Amino acid sequence: MTNSMTNVEFVQNLVKSNVKVLKEHVTDQYQVHFVVEQDKVHFLLNILRNAGWIQLSYLSAVDWPEENKFELVYIVFNWDKPVYVQIRTKIDRENPVMNSILPIYPGCKYYERECHEFFGVKFPGNPDYEKQLILENWDDIPPMRKDFDPEAYSTRKFPQREYSETYIVQSEGKSKIAKMEARTKRAESLRGGKK
Amino acid sequence: MREMKLFLGPQHPGMHGNASVHMYVEGDIIKRSFLLPGMLHRGFEKGMERHSWMNNISLIPRVCVVEPDINELAFAMGAEKLLGLEIPERAQWIRMIIMELARLSIHLMAYGGIGGPTGNYTLMYHAHADRNEILDIFEQITGMRVYHQYIVIGGVRKDLPEGIEKDIHKFLDSLESRYDEYRDLGIDNPSIIKRIKDTIMLPEEVVWELGVTGIGMRSSVNKPYDVRKVMPYCRYDQVEFEVPVSDYSDARSRIDCKLKEILQSISIIRQCLVKIPEGPVRVPISRGQSMRWVIPKGYVYSVVESSRGEFGYFMVSDGGTNPYRVGVRGASYPQGLLGVEKYMPGTRIDDAPLWIDTMGVCSPEIDR
Repeated sequence: MTNSMTNVEFVQNLVKSNVKVLKEHVTDQYQVHFVVEQDKVHFLLNILRNAGWIQLSYLSAVDWPEENKFELVYIVFNWDKPVYVQIRTKIDRENPVMNSILPIYPGCKYYERECHEFFGVKFPGNPDYEKQLILENWDDIPPMRKDFDPEAYSTRKFPQREYSETYIVQSEGKSKIAKMEARTKRAESLRGGKK
Repeated sequence: MREMKLFLGPQHPGMHGNASVHMYVEGDIIKRSFLLPGMLHRGFEKGMERHSWMNNISLIPRVCVVEPDINELAFAMGAEKLLGLEIPERAQWIRMIIMELARLSIHLMAYGGIGGPTGNYTLMYHAHADRNEILDIFEQITGMRVYHQYIVIGGVRKDLPEGIEKDIHKFLDSLESRYDEYRDLGIDNPSIIKRIKDTIMLPEEVVWELGVTGIGMRSSVNKPYDVRKVMPYCRYDQVEFEVPVSDYSDARSRIDCKLKEILQSISIIRQCLVKIPEGPVRVPISRGQSMRWVIPKGYVYSVVESSRGEFGYFMVSDGGTNPYRVGVRGASYPQGLLGVEKYMPGTRIDDAPLWIDTMGVCSPEIDR
């Protein structure tokens, strides 16, 4: 670096001069978080990408049912100025739609698909986002939402079986144990002496 | 020629773990392909929300079957960042020893793994025999062979047993003495060199497009982009090691980088055993009850360098006894899903397992 600015300060300047930041947090010298409005995310990611944050490390969502919001998380990374920039934004939970970032980070394709599958967030712009990836023939609400109850799902899907307490012994005389006993008896009789 | 659908895996010597590659082939050229995960999905992220921070220590190693320790370290480091906890010096060095032993074990397994697709099974037997010795060392240190549950929030579970240094040195010496043999058996072996040289190329622009990290990236962009170097965690800034790089990424050069990393890991463990100080190995967590820790509110993304690249845990705490949300960034996500879809078409069928192997696609961490 040419000047004395640290990497985190560089990111802070870059982000704040372009976008209105709602909330900001610096975890340590390698990580900084920004919370922005939903419509600023693409603009901000574009700026970061052009500034060298070319790797999309993670994309996912967090469910906040009390606020009736989903929080989308984008984590991008620059290997030359090692700072993880975490960008978060809250979107409506009833009709969760967020435009895809596919033109900015092509690597997001499968992250968005997974996010759609597990949270139900729609990503128009991503051609495959509605295809099923991991969950086959899923017939409930998306499972990573907080109001999804795995226990209720499994009792509904796999009802408890009733087992009968009686059982039938098939062909009693020919069972393995009887054969084994007969064999030991014969062996003992051949050995002689012993009863 | 007629297009035909072909399944590679989940039961196939070239596939690692329970995923399958669906390929549409004409002759033996792949026309379209995609990875089909989902056969091993265990719902870890949901499960972690339903268990306390302490319970999760026994749950997370299962995320990646062959390399469990990276999960433990990433999870522990993330929680420590949220807590603002400084762990004892000795614990940091023990963590490094564990991480590098784990790296040796997974590199040996992956290197032996190319024996499957190339038909060179001798290599696999030798590598697994050596890996077994690492598992013996792990058993002595942690009491368990595969899932160790050793790195916990606040340090490590217990101190190193007495006399373990001797065993580690003995193993490192024997592995180092066999290094040339491994090269002759694998990447310098004329019988498989045609299969791995100039196949499964990974150009630099593809690396940035997919977001590949780890050996795949370093073997292509020729820069030491390793999390241990770029943002040192534990005490990686206090040991000397090199990051093997290359500017021509075919299957052979990626395996070559992997082998060179084995030498570096051996050197790191030796330095750790010299520099490790005496002292406590664990600090108690003062918040919450003894079994139900309370982690303060916050968001954190903690990263470690796995054998396949950047491996991260995104964690959210709402100040309760359970994590609010834990997201796992599997290192093999980009090359395993998008890479198979976009860049495997055009190669031959028998090269597909080599992509899976040399790029280090680990299906358990895609299906977590």
